[in-house]
Amino acid sequence: MRTVGILTVLAVALVVSAAAGILVGAVAIGPSDVFAALFGSNDVNGTIIRELRLPRVLGAALVGGALATAGALLQGLLRNPLADPFVTGTSAGATLAAVAAIVLGLAAPLVPIAAFVGALVTVTLVWRLARLGGGTTVLTVLLAGVVLTSFAGAVVTFLLISSDRLALQLRAVLGWLQGGVSVISWPELGVAALVVALGLGFAVVLAHRVDAYAFGEETAATLGVDPDRTTTTVLGATALLSGAAVALAGLVGFVGLVIPHALRFVIGATHRRLVPASFLAGATALVLADLGARTIIAPAELPLGAITGLIGAPFFLALLVRSRRVVV
Amino acid sequence: MRSRIVVFLAVLLLTLASCGGAVSISPSPSVTASPFPATLSDFQNRSVTVPARPERLVSIGPSITAFLFALGAGPRVVGVDDFSDEPAEAASREHVGGIKVNFEKVVALKPDLVFSVKFSDGTIEKLQAASLNVLVVDPQSVSDVAKTATLIGKAVGADGDSLARSIQQRVDAVKAKTANVANRPRVYHEIDASDPAKIFTVGPGSYINDLIDIAGGANIAARAASAYPQLSAEEILKTDPEIIVLAADVYSPKPSDVAARQGWSIIAAVKNNRIVTIDPNLINRPGPRVGEAAEAYAKLVHPELFR
Repeated sequence: MRTVGILTVLAVALVVSAAAGILVGAVAIGPSDVFAALFGSNDVNGTIIRELRLPRVLGAALVGGALATAGALLQGLLRNPLADPFVTGTSAGATLAAVAAIVLGLAAPLVPIAAFVGALVTVTLVWRLARLGGGTTVLTVLLAGVVLTSFAGAVVTFLLISSDRLALQLRAVLGWLQGGVSVISWPELGVAALVVALGLGFAVVLAHRVDAYAFGEETAATLGVDPDRTTTTVLGATALLSGAAVALAGLVGFVGLVIPHALRFVIGATHRRLVPASFLAGATALVLADLGARTIIAPAELPLGAITGLIGAPFFLALLVRSRRVVV
Repeated sequence: MRSRIVVFLAVLLLTLASCGGAVSISPSPSVTASPFPATLSDFQNRSVTVPARPERLVSIGPSITAFLFALGAGPRVVGVDDFSDEPAEAASREHVGGIKVNFEKVVALKPDLVFSVKFSDGTIEKLQAASLNVLVVDPQSVSDVAKTATLIGKAVGADGDSLARSIQQRVDAVKAKTANVANRPRVYHEIDASDPAKIFTVGPGSYINDLIDIAGGANIAARAASAYPQLSAEEILKTDPEIIVLAADVYSPKPSDVAARQGWSIIAAVKNNRIVTIDPNLINRPGPRVGEAAEAYAKLVHPELFR
């Protein structure tokens, strides 16, 4: 009952923040006009709401939900409260692959696929590196993430500077790297929604197996969970979610870290509950962060990644200090 | 080609850094007697003395280079910035850098007068510290252009006044045509939309804003807070431009790209197929071709006046 209550509250919060996101924008449009616009008025306000604001808000929700869900899976799998797609370098890997796809001149629909592949390769690499010393320790994961992020960053910089094609879109690519959901087209959104739905589906199905990981892989095996197959599927789901998020919004940090972690205090560590709660709360958080990005220094806009970093980084540091005290 | 965009960004940076310096030139109609030594007030209100007719000129700024050649001082130009390509002959001169000036190269050319646009990063001061005589010339409006011709003419000992008059006449001819137009169509001039949330356009105090005005159009960002404001797509939709002007170069979006942008089909210019292109070098550089630029722009805004 308590879980249902919490999930209901989170769903309501998402709807309310999405409504706020649609009501506020560069052009002032009254609530009644917004309402009319949503239901098909054909004037300029209708176009602004339906073609510009709505996809933006939905994009933010999808990205936030995907990142938080991926974070919940990674934290469970690595038994590490400090894991998320950003910190582990998964997002950076996805970004590198997406930038490479753009440099190679691949068609736009292939960019999200490249991002997925990049995420899958990186997250698998992190998993392998983290297990080198036997167990997955907090610090190995972080260090692996730092190394992979700087490596991917270096290659991205090299690609950006050496490619004529990208130099001309430098501002666009840099804007994307900073994270943002400014203009998302409906087809783009549709593809991302499908991928995120797939990843979320896997996450929900896999949730109880991730729970078994809490006691270590050997225990998981005795509980009837095939560790290798589970690991592969969880990593795949994480890559789907992170890849879709990066393809839509570039590098948005810390949502995947903060949301699942905070939710554990409220809803407990059971992934069957944590996964859907993380999706809803992550979606709400990013819709609000994007609203902040648009309004704090209006009419100019802040990069979305700056907002999440501003809130997320101190949270991350606090967690790091705490985990050092407990683990070491 | 890529350099054009870099030039534009450079111009943009320079513009943002400047705060509207004006030229004040003492009225002295006779340039026949020895005009040197000449004491001039430049675009940063600095007083610059040119002791004798300068024989080795360095120009940092494509529009300055164009003026020097238009004034017949081309043979005396020994160095230009990387973007100076008008006239074509100018590009054959020694290059002294672009966004970042190569100071060693400038000094090695032993210029007796260096012309430069404004810089906000201390470039002018560094050139002076190298004992070079520097004249800052940075026209930002159509009315600056004629004044620039006069100023550069005095600096190099050429007849800038005649050039200034012919420039002014050609601009005035366009103004006369568009002065009594019944309607002034709303014009959106796109500078850079690579970040679709923050699209650069031209605002008050920019050269292109002047051109739009002279061409008989109404800039949708005429009341923006800065010379190069950023608009969101929402604002552009709301102002409903009747004409959209793009740069005609390989890397800029094509009219079909703009028409296909999410939500833009509702804009009048898109509905009526009035997305047009113009040579960016012609309209980005406040140089001696300003009359030609005003005419080209007016043809886009009021084609009916030029039939």
